[in-house]
Amino acid sequence: MSKPPSSPAGTPAPPANAMGRRSFLRTSAVVTTGLAALAASVKPLLEMNDLPTMQQFLQKYYKEMTPEDMAKVLKRIEDEVEKQYGLRPHVRDLKPMDGVEFVYCLNLTRCIGCRKCVHACVAENNESRDPEIQYIRVLRLPDGSLDIDKADHFYAPDAVPEKGFFYMPVQCQQCENPPCVKVCPVHATWQDADGITVIDYDWCIGCRYCEAACPYWARRFNFTKPSIPKERLNPDMAYLGNRPRRQGVMEKCHFCIQRTRAGRYPACVEVCPAGARKFGNILDPDSEVSYILKSKRVFIQLKSEMGTKPRFFYYFDV
Amino acid sequence: MRRAVRNYFVFLSRCARIAFAGDWRYYAWMGLLTVICLLGLNAYCRQFARGLIVTGMSDEVSWGVYIANFTFLVGVAAAAVMMVIPVYIYKNEDLHDLVIFGELLAVAAILMCLAFVTVDLGRPDRFWHLIPGIGQFNFPKSMLSWDVLVLNGYLLLNVHICGYLLYCRYRKTKPGKWFYIPFVFIAIFWAVSIHTVTAFLYVGLGGRPFWNSAIVGPRFLASAFTAGPALIILAMQVVRRVTSYPSPDVETSRARGAPPQPSKHRAATIEDFALLSRDLLEMATVPAETRRRVLPMAEVLEVQAGDALLRQGETEERAFFILRGSVVVVREEGGRLRVTRTAGAGEQVGEISALNATPRMATAVAEEPSLVLSLSADALRILMESPQVNKIVRSRMSERLLITDRALMTLRSIVQVSMLINVFLLVNEVFKEFYSGNLHDASSKYLFVGLEHHHALVPWIWTAITFNVTAMVLLVLPVSRSLKWLNLTCVLCIVGIWIEKGMGLVIPGFIPTPLGEMMEYRPSLNETLVCFGIWAFGLLCYTVFLRMSVPILQGRLSKENEAAPDRPGRSPAAATPLRA
Repeated sequence: MSKPPSSPAGTPAPPANAMGRRSFLRTSAVVTTGLAALAASVKPLLEMNDLPTMQQFLQKYYKEMTPEDMAKVLKRIEDEVEKQYGLRPHVRDLKPMDGVEFVYCLNLTRCIGCRKCVHACVAENNESRDPEIQYIRVLRLPDGSLDIDKADHFYAPDAVPEKGFFYMPVQCQQCENPPCVKVCPVHATWQDADGITVIDYDWCIGCRYCEAACPYWARRFNFTKPSIPKERLNPDMAYLGNRPRRQGVMEKCHFCIQRTRAGRYPACVEVCPAGARKFGNILDPDSEVSYILKSKRVFIQLKSEMGTKPRFFYYFDV
Repeated sequence: MRRAVRNYFVFLSRCARIAFAGDWRYYAWMGLLTVICLLGLNAYCRQFARGLIVTGMSDEVSWGVYIANFTFLVGVAAAAVMMVIPVYIYKNEDLHDLVIFGELLAVAAILMCLAFVTVDLGRPDRFWHLIPGIGQFNFPKSMLSWDVLVLNGYLLLNVHICGYLLYCRYRKTKPGKWFYIPFVFIAIFWAVSIHTVTAFLYVGLGGRPFWNSAIVGPRFLASAFTAGPALIILAMQVVRRVTSYPSPDVETSRARGAPPQPSKHRAATIEDFALLSRDLLEMATVPAETRRRVLPMAEVLEVQAGDALLRQGETEERAFFILRGSVVVVREEGGRLRVTRTAGAGEQVGEISALNATPRMATAVAEEPSLVLSLSADALRILMESPQVNKIVRSRMSERLLITDRALMTLRSIVQVSMLINVFLLVNEVFKEFYSGNLHDASSKYLFVGLEHHHALVPWIWTAITFNVTAMVLLVLPVSRSLKWLNLTCVLCIVGIWIEKGMGLVIPGFIPTPLGEMMEYRPSLNETLVCFGIWAFGLLCYTVFLRMSVPILQGRLSKENEAAPDRPGRSPAAATPLRA
């Protein structure tokens, strides 16, 4: 590795003043070659997918933005989306409503495994089509078992439902004690007052620690710049919801914030042809979910032994 | 103050200059590393532009070989303390001159760790979100924020300790205890913490049963204390090799036998002590009557360049103080010579073997016409009754670059014990996973025997186990006392542990996914190039660190020779041929 200034085999270095022009030429040749090699090495940066602008780079953390800051950012996002997709979206920063805590109930007896929720979710939330990102994964399980290791993720029969199987869609369980929030080194993900765990896509550094921490495999990473066909873009957007994401950040199900915080149902609930999906405010005693949680005997909270306390309840009709 | 700053910058610039100087082998090695670095940089730029899609990672296996390397290297960095503890706590003299190399290795390893986490980020442009104060630092909740703190803290600690000790050695001043000893002890504690915190990154994830096991932390430490010192054993032999040169006439120099006869010698006078006191201020504290008492046992030698004061292997109870000129100390090992230190005016040679009546550990040769005060062991003892003289002489005893086989053997015993513990802990883990047969053993099954026709990692882990067990057996057998076998053992340890705790720990944690999906991982070519680039970068850093520190430790690069740093007469080449 290292060598003493000279070895017995080496010739002694000429005195400094004799080095003159030859050494200068040699040094400049070395420096030029070095710079050329360096330039060649960094050349791929020219095909940069997603270079941040100065405003994007310096954007403040969500919780530290004043309403004026936010208004500017929302306008900027609208401009960016318009430029890229040729369609002016409406981006809002929707806050949680007072006295609301969302809960999801899913009737396993009714789910027929059609995956309509998966595709409605992709369309509603502007999820990348290539590479494909989906928030909902529907598992096919043999009757009689809730052992997830026996699940088939890629079932593809001619028609659903199939005899001998039941289906269990899994998405973000909106835990009351979310492991993903705890591990984020930069507070880029947090739980809002209505129980929804959200992500500030403009703050996430993309370390994927939350993805490793989630026991439900509910988080997705943008391994490259997401691509959505222009005609498929959903222009009704929220800052913490379905606005287009950047390369290198996390995303996940947020109970369709852009809908639910404006009084509508999530897209998956609306689209379900079997009526298996129920959604509502648990703090409202007259809500459908309150009724279900009061009247059904058994609920399954996935991996409840983790202490995550999901706000997502699976139940059966009987 | 301004003078101190100036001196420091002169030191830095000389260090920087020496990093660019060397023979063709040095340039070839550095050139090769630079080329690999640039290839890695090129691959990283491609990843930076297109995103992590160019890696083999996916939503299913969301960490890969970057984090695997990171985990391994945190261990290497932590293991530097295994050199520090014996030296500072148990006063082990053998390892003394290796401490700085161990800590420099830690610095290089941490730099590589930081590079590996950075390339793993999806948005490296947002790194500032991690900086406390201007960003949002999720401390103490996120283990990753702990890791950011402890890694950077450890880097600063080691840079400070190495930098300070080297600068003191450069100035030939005694390091102030309060400037480094407290940091050494903090660093010991800190080294354990960096690796524990890194283990907790994994252990803390309840959703990943493969990682969520209390034994991961101890396993990390055991494997770190195996692989780290093993790496240092190899690195030190490389240093020993490249800082030495073939001895031209080992046989003849041995055969010469007859003690050297310096050109001129005369009885010492009280003026000679006054001359010595100019460069060795402590000598001034010796009372005049003591000096007079010593006079009959002292003489002054006037030696020419190439004259030997003492020869390796001989037993002769005389110690020497340099009054004028300089002396280079050369040690012969396995037919090769290596400069272990140089002594200038006011410094001593030969005092250890004189005081202990042991054979000379090296040969001391004058580099230039010099004036030397020669003392009998008794005279030295009398002088050392003065506490100041005692202190300076003793503190200088360790100022040499020996890298003895004994030091390597001390490291071997550290590797030995750690490897036994490491294998034992692995057995514990495997037993718990397989004997209880609960539902959480899918990842272990995938790793060790394969699961549902997926077995990409099976050959890897069995290679690792074979290497580890073979290394363990070799370490226990006396055969590994020979350097050839020890080197093989160290390579087995390093490769075995790299697989076991890199790929063998990070990847299976993701397979199957928490929803039971089987998805395998294979690093892409681009990802592999980035890894090679970072390793080359680390080696480049370590080479430069050694390139700067070896001459400082040898005394070849010091403040004294600031004016004429590269005087040809100072090169070992001039000193090598011993004049008969």
